[in-house]
Amino acid sequence: MRKTQLTVSLAALSTSAFLLASCAGGSGGSATSSGGASSDAPQELNALVWCDHTDPELLAPFEEANNVTVNVRDYEGTGVALGILEQSQPGDWDVFVVDSVDVPRVAEAGILAPLSKDDFDFDQFFSEVQLPEIHELDGTLYAVPEKFGYNTVAFNGANVDAEKMRDLSFLWDPELAGKIAIYDYYIPVMEFVGLELGIEPQNITVDDLPAIEARLVELKAQSAQVGDVVSTQTALATGEVEVIVGGGEFSTSVLNAENPDLDWILPNQGGIRWQQAIGVLADSEKQELATKFVQYIVSPEGQAALATSSCYWGMPANKNATLTDEQKDILRWDEQSDFIANSYPYYIPDADLDAAMLDVWTRVVVG
Amino acid sequence: MKLVRSGLSWVYVLLIFGFILMPVVSLVVFSFQATNLPVPPFTGPSLRWYEALFADSRMIEALRNSIVVGVVSGFFSTALGFLAAYGLARYRPRGARAIRAIVMTPLGVSYLVIGFGLSVTANELALGRSLVLVTLGHIIINLPLAFAIVLSQMRDEDENLEKAARDLGAGEWTVITRVAIPVLLPGIMAAFLLSFTLSWDEFIIAFFLADFDVTLPIEIWSQLRTGLDAKTNAAGTLVFAISLVALTLAYVLNRAVSQRSRRL
Amino acid sequence: MEHQRRWQGWVLVGPALLVTLALFAAPMVMVVLTSLYRRSGGLTDRTLSFDNYIRLATDSTIHQALWNSIEVVALTVIFSTLIAYPFAYIVAYKVPQKWQALVLLLTVVPFWTSYVVRSYSWLLVLAKNGVINQTLVSWGIIAEPFTMANTRFATVLAFVHFFVMVSTLTIYASLRQIPRNLGLAARDLGASPLSVFLRITLPLSIPGVVVGAFLTFVLAIGDYITPQIVGGGNELVLPQLLMLQVSRMGDFPLAAAMALVLLIIVAAVYAVSAKNLTLERKR
Repeated sequence: MRKTQLTVSLAALSTSAFLLASCAGGSGGSATSSGGASSDAPQELNALVWCDHTDPELLAPFEEANNVTVNVRDYEGTGVALGILEQSQPGDWDVFVVDSVDVPRVAEAGILAPLSKDDFDFDQFFSEVQLPEIHELDGTLYAVPEKFGYNTVAFNGANVDAEKMRDLSFLWDPELAGKIAIYDYYIPVMEFVGLELGIEPQNITVDDLPAIEARLVELKAQSAQVGDVVSTQTALATGEVEVIVGGGEFSTSVLNAENPDLDWILPNQGGIRWQQAIGVLADSEKQELATKFVQYIVSPEGQAALATSSCYWGMPANKNATLTDEQKDILRWDEQSDFIANSYPYYIPDADLDAAMLDVWTRVVVG
Repeated sequence: MKLVRSGLSWVYVLLIFGFILMPVVSLVVFSFQATNLPVPPFTGPSLRWYEALFADSRMIEALRNSIVVGVVSGFFSTALGFLAAYGLARYRPRGARAIRAIVMTPLGVSYLVIGFGLSVTANELALGRSLVLVTLGHIIINLPLAFAIVLSQMRDEDENLEKAARDLGAGEWTVITRVAIPVLLPGIMAAFLLSFTLSWDEFIIAFFLADFDVTLPIEIWSQLRTGLDAKTNAAGTLVFAISLVALTLAYVLNRAVSQRSRRL
Repeated sequence: MEHQRRWQGWVLVGPALLVTLALFAAPMVMVVLTSLYRRSGGLTDRTLSFDNYIRLATDSTIHQALWNSIEVVALTVIFSTLIAYPFAYIVAYKVPQKWQALVLLLTVVPFWTSYVVRSYSWLLVLAKNGVINQTLVSWGIIAEPFTMANTRFATVLAFVHFFVMVSTLTIYASLRQIPRNLGLAARDLGASPLSVFLRITLPLSIPGVVVGAFLTFVLAIGDYITPQIVGGGNELVLPQLLMLQVSRMGDFPLAAAMALVLLIIVAAVYAVSAKNLTLERKR
């Protein structure tokens, strides 16, 4: 009887220790933060962002000034972000950085919280990026533009003739066989390929897809790899490829210090212009703090840090961003009005066309 | 002829070692790179990336999380595996074969599927992602191994030692803690060490189940996806160094323990 | 007494069984269940249907990914085994006994580096500007660097790198269990060294080969990291397609169906090799 008792208690002990540990671990989230008395414990703000917002140098000034820890999760495309939001509980996220062209559908779906226009000084922004027609819904502001740039071609100027790159068709030239990396974001790259076929992004229909797919297949045959922001940057930096299709200043500027030959250009057929906006989530339980964060990001100092952040550079939406002249040179600050004139903003297709485009992309990429 | 064959053998061994060491040497060497990119030419030596690594609070926290998860999951895998092996070998319950099969099954399933399954289940139960879930995931993948290792160490001769102890009046708890465990300690420690190692560098299950508190492999992966520099080389080298230290410690402990148990 | 002992046995084994049930069996059931759901209009539709399985059977992209997986893993198994066997043989028979453990340890220790960083290192070693190409060019062996990174070759190479170590260990374990006197007796009876190898050593080492190959197969076919880092997105294998469903499409039901396909493949391979899957000495 004693033996049995002891055996049972041994087994029970191990099981209960296990259960206890899981319960204790459940509250372990707070245990991992640099502790102190609970009144001193920093608040947390959760942001769903493009990778350029993960730079500690961007976040540190705001965190220190407000005693906040900003937790960031980055994503590779709006579809992924929406998937993450869907799998989350309300209140999980506070701040959302999203492509401007996706703001209308995201605002209509009730994901974003309304913002007060008085909190922001729009006079400081480049007029071409303010785009109230997509950032506002029925006159209410939902997201603030924060950064923009181009999906065009980035290349190694030492090995590829910049003049030849002015013609988009050169990408399919045998001279570049095996020397191309394709940026893995289907909408801008497919629209870019469409430009080569003479189709403007806002005019793309399902009927155009077979032609675009055929051209894409040919481009894939020319390419050495398909990758995200950093793997295409790596490939260009290590000489694995000479050209990034869909790349732009966001590919090369961050590498400029080590290799000034890396460059980008808008071909004659034009390029695609990307733009990011930042907003607050409707379900967030920290609306005030989140709004403060948004204000910080679009402030001159925040904008300078964002424009030159570690994952990729881009043009700040705020004209007064405190950038150095050298940084402005790298971003081609003075040529922006020409670039904006010669580029098309992303055009976001409706759900059916979107699904069809994604299908084409997956087919071509899986190979 | 024998000399030629002998020579060929040595050449082959050297080639294999060269192959195995190639990415590792590159990894370590370029952790001392002075410029940004961990590619030739080597512009070092410089400690800037190690400085950057130790200044990177996210990495350090991820490192700490990995150790905690490794130790906790290793402990539970080993404890549960030991109890199951001991119960199976000494008590021979009916359905022993079925028990063995059930405990070993997770070994045959890809970590990807296990991680995916746990994340889907957690979602259904509205359980948020956390390091606790990661620990649970690591327990389930290491339990079969710990169980198998301890079981393989249990010899019939040792049972006599335990029987003798019982005859002398020792209770079950005493038999386990003062006879069985000391004798099996090398096996138990091997199981713990293996469990820790597999948990420490495990990526895919942690990726599915962790939230903002991440383990080291996830943090390295995140940093690789958001910028290319040699800091991750420094992190990889650090992981290597820690593993070497842990291995040496375990070896030393193991020898000390086996010597003690031999005196038993 | 016997009855009590058996019951106690169950109590000791109980926790491990419960944990396996909760953390493995239940999630697997969940995966099967999820594979019968559908994703529609951005949400999971929980009505049971075989839509995902129909898609699996008809979608050529999925077939392509599956085929890529099988080819890559088959190549990995073949090359790992071919390269590991001679190495294991040399360690077991040519290296002095007291150094064997050390040699094996030196083989394993490099893999104590982070898997993610090591894969990344391979990408950089194989790059056009990487160590291999630069060395070959500077020694004049080749004129232009050739492409190794971001190809199937890179994926297989990185896999083989790891699994040579695994197979070496299992084949070595098997070789060591072959009684030495078998070979000696055969030599006494006039057999040539080659004959001894072909008719005694090799057949008796098959279990080690099979265990190594099986481990390689199971681990490689479910691996996401290596193809993702060094493969360059040029061809996708099943784990990558699964992760695409999870992250990009949010299509958990389809991902669950793919996970089950992976499970079934591994189970099938296990069934075929089960007899040989033991390193215990056959009596």
